[in-house]
Formats: sequence, structure tokens, C-alpha cells
Amino acid sequence: MAAPQHALRRGSSSLTRFTSCSQLSSLSISRTSTRSSHYFRKLEATAEKGEVLKPMEEEELSLKALADGWLEGPGSAFKDPLHGSTNYLNAYSPSGKLFRLNTRKGEEGSEANATSDGQLPPERLEDLMPFPLNTQFRSQSVLSEELREEIYNRVVVNGSSVRSVSAEFSVSMERVGAVVRMKQIEKDWQKDGKSLAKPYAQAVLNMLPTTPYIPNDPQPHEDINDLPVHSHTTQQIFYPTSESRDFTRADAGRAFNTDLLPADARIPHPQLIEEHRERNFPPAVRQNLIDERERREIQDRERRKQKMMEREKRQVTVVPGKRHEFRFKDISVDSVGKNGRSPAGVGWRYGFPHEDRKRGQVKIPTRVDT
Amino acid sequence: MVVRIRLARFGKRHSPFYNVVVTQARTARNSKPMEVLGTYDPKPKSALDGEGRQFKDIKLDVARAKYWLGVGAQPSDPARAMLSMASPVQCLAA
Repeated sequence: MAAPQHALRRGSSSLTRFTSCSQLSSLSISRTSTRSSHYFRKLEATAEKGEVLKPMEEEELSLKALADGWLEGPGSAFKDPLHGSTNYLNAYSPSGKLFRLNTRKGEEGSEANATSDGQLPPERLEDLMPFPLNTQFRSQSVLSEELREEIYNRVVVNGSSVRSVSAEFSVSMERVGAVVRMKQIEKDWQKDGKSLAKPYAQAVLNMLPTTPYIPNDPQPHEDINDLPVHSHTTQQIFYPTSESRDFTRADAGRAFNTDLLPADARIPHPQLIEEHRERNFPPAVRQNLIDERERREIQDRERRKQKMMEREKRQVTVVPGKRHEFRFKDISVDSVGKNGRSPAGVGWRYGFPHEDRKRGQVKIPTRVDT
Repeated sequence: MVVRIRLARFGKRHSPFYNVVVTQARTARNSKPMEVLGTYDPKPKSALDGEGRQFKDIKLDVARAKYWLGVGAQPSDPARAMLSMASPVQCLAA
């Protein structure tokens, strides 16, 4: 008990912190649970009046009594947690009432109203703090089941591009790709008759904030057009240029590195810039332009794929064998370079140790072949 | 001493991988050769879309192989099989 007593002796700060965020851990010392629950009632009353309660005397509360008091008082809200909502400490007042109910429906009888509605008001940003003392950490939304299904349908069934789906739902392209792959696995499992842990997934999703899918009213999920920080751009450069010269963002990119693309080309969704420029056009014209861009992108991709396949065909000769076919690729022995040690050369290299046991070698797959 | 075209086994345990090399016949299998003509990966691979037959990858500088055969290099049996698949007429003559 030495440590908590010491903590209390240091001053009232631990108790005032308790009044603000229902934390038990920083409190100490007393006698009975009835006394402590009385203390909580008093605490609530003073909080409503806007006063700060004086910290109790050292002997008044014991840790056990405080815990019991908390369980009977503010903590009782967590005995029956809300379904379909987050249940973070910060969403509740010191007396155990939901903050967002009070703010919306007035002070009195709000809980009854809410249950008769059957609908809880959505969480405010302050309600999404799982750790009351870490005010910087807010629980981020995850994709709801319906939204994930819709993303899969758009990409796989309708054949929309990942880029356009990402822009429409404001979900990053990486996440769209991941959703499509996971959904595909899920559907394959269902086809094979494997059981899915649906109740578990449902239970977890119920406890987290989710981005819902509302047809024709997409809810933004996250920022999708952030410029990725390139290591070349983290240095500070003093680049002399004449005043009369037009120094654009493309020039700035080149100043960092000759191969670095300008910021406008490095963002994930450059087409959103075009769309923003066209925002005042009539809707039909805008849609036409968007479709045109999409069509061109698909054509480009097809052309590139075709080209790659043709190149491969030119280089590779297929010889049928009994069990397998043999694919001969013509190479040049000169690729090893003049001293015969170039890493670009073909074949296992001589005089170089394997690096697969070396520290820091990435062995898990870093990309997905499709 | 005879110059041979033969395979040199690299790779790992249970995961063979061969260099197709031009080398002096009496040197050690994995010693540094005169030239690396290509590689042979004996592990059959499936196409990514899962369609078609399985295949084995062989990389080979055919022109250079022809040159070495032309100046009298002797292919080992597996090397001969491989070269005759890549360029039948030349290797049968050799």
C-alpha cells in the first residue's frame, strides 16, 4: 500500500483527474463500499453544478471500496454494454450516463427516449477514445460488411477499376485490393463448404465504429489522395534559380531528383484534379469526361499487357516435352558485364554468398501476382 | 583437355537450380566456368491463371552455345538434350 498512499500524499491531482475521466487506477484508501458509492453520487452532483469536489481524506476510501463503488456507480453501464455501438470509457459521464444522449435530447429522461427510438445517436469524436488519458488516439472506422460486399461487386462483378471504386467510396486503393482478395477467399471457402467465423466477425464489428454503405450516398472512409513521402524529398535543398523563370512543381520534383515525378503525378488519384477542374461543367458532360478517362485507362492497360505478352512471345520458344513443356528464353552471356560480376547477369553468381540468412532480408511475399 | 558444356548444380537442398556452363572437363563441378551460357530450373511451374500445361524454365544464349559447339565443346548428355531442344539441327551435327 506504500505506493498509493504516497501518490495521494503528493496532492489532489490524482482525484481531480478521476473526476474528469472515470479512472480508478490513480485513487486510493477508505472503509466501506456504501461510503464510496455515496462519494460517487456526490461527485456527480457537484459535476452537474460545475464545481470540483474536494479530494477525500486519506483514510476515507480504500482501493477495494473504490472499485466496488465504481462497479455499482459509473461502471454499472458496462455490465450491459450497448450493442451495435462502441463502449469506450470516455463516452460516459462520471455517473455512467452516455454523453451523446444528453447533448441530443436534453437533460432529463433521455435514456428512455433513446431506447423507445431504438436508435442511438452516432458517436462523436470525443466518444471514440478507448484510452481516456491518451486523447490523441481516436478509434478509426473499419469497413462495414455491406460496404465490403459492394466494393467486391463493383470490382469483380461490374468490372470497375480499383481506382474509380477507391475514389467513389474514399477507400485507399490498397484497401480496395485487400477487400477484393479477402472477399474472394471468403467466397471460395463458402463454395468449398468451409465454415466461416461469422458470429465472431459480427461481434467484433459491433464493438467498432464502422463506415456504413448507403446506396447513392457514399460515406468517406479515409483520406485517399495523400502524397506519399518519397525519401528524395526529405532533404532540404537550396536550389538557385533565376527570378524570371517559371519554377513549377514539376521543376521542384526534378530539383530533388532527376527521376522524381512531380507531386501531381505521384498522388494516388491524379484524375481527381481533373475532375475538380471540371466541377462547373454540366453533369452529363462531366460524366462523359469521366467515362472517357476510364475507358482510356483501361485501353492503355490492355495495350501495355498485350505489348508485354508479345515481347515475351518473341523471346520465349516453347518446346513440348513428355510431361512438361520447356520454355526457352534467349539471353545474352554479355549480361554479366566485362568483369563477369554484374548482378544483372544470368545464372547463379560465382563468389557471392547467399544473402537469405542475412539479417533484414524480406522473405514474405511483398506483392501478389494476379 | 576437353571443353565441355554441362550443368552445374546450385540452389538449395531439395531445391535444385542449374547453371549451363562451358568449362574445362576436369575442373570441379561448381568451379568458376569459362562462360555461363544460361540456366535450367528443373522445378515445374504452373501458369498463374492455372491453365495450360506445367512448364520448366530454361534460359540459354543459343548463339553462344552454337559457337562453342562449333569450336569443339562436348556437351554432356543432359546438356545435349537441352541444346537439341533449343536448336535441333546444330546439336545433332555436333
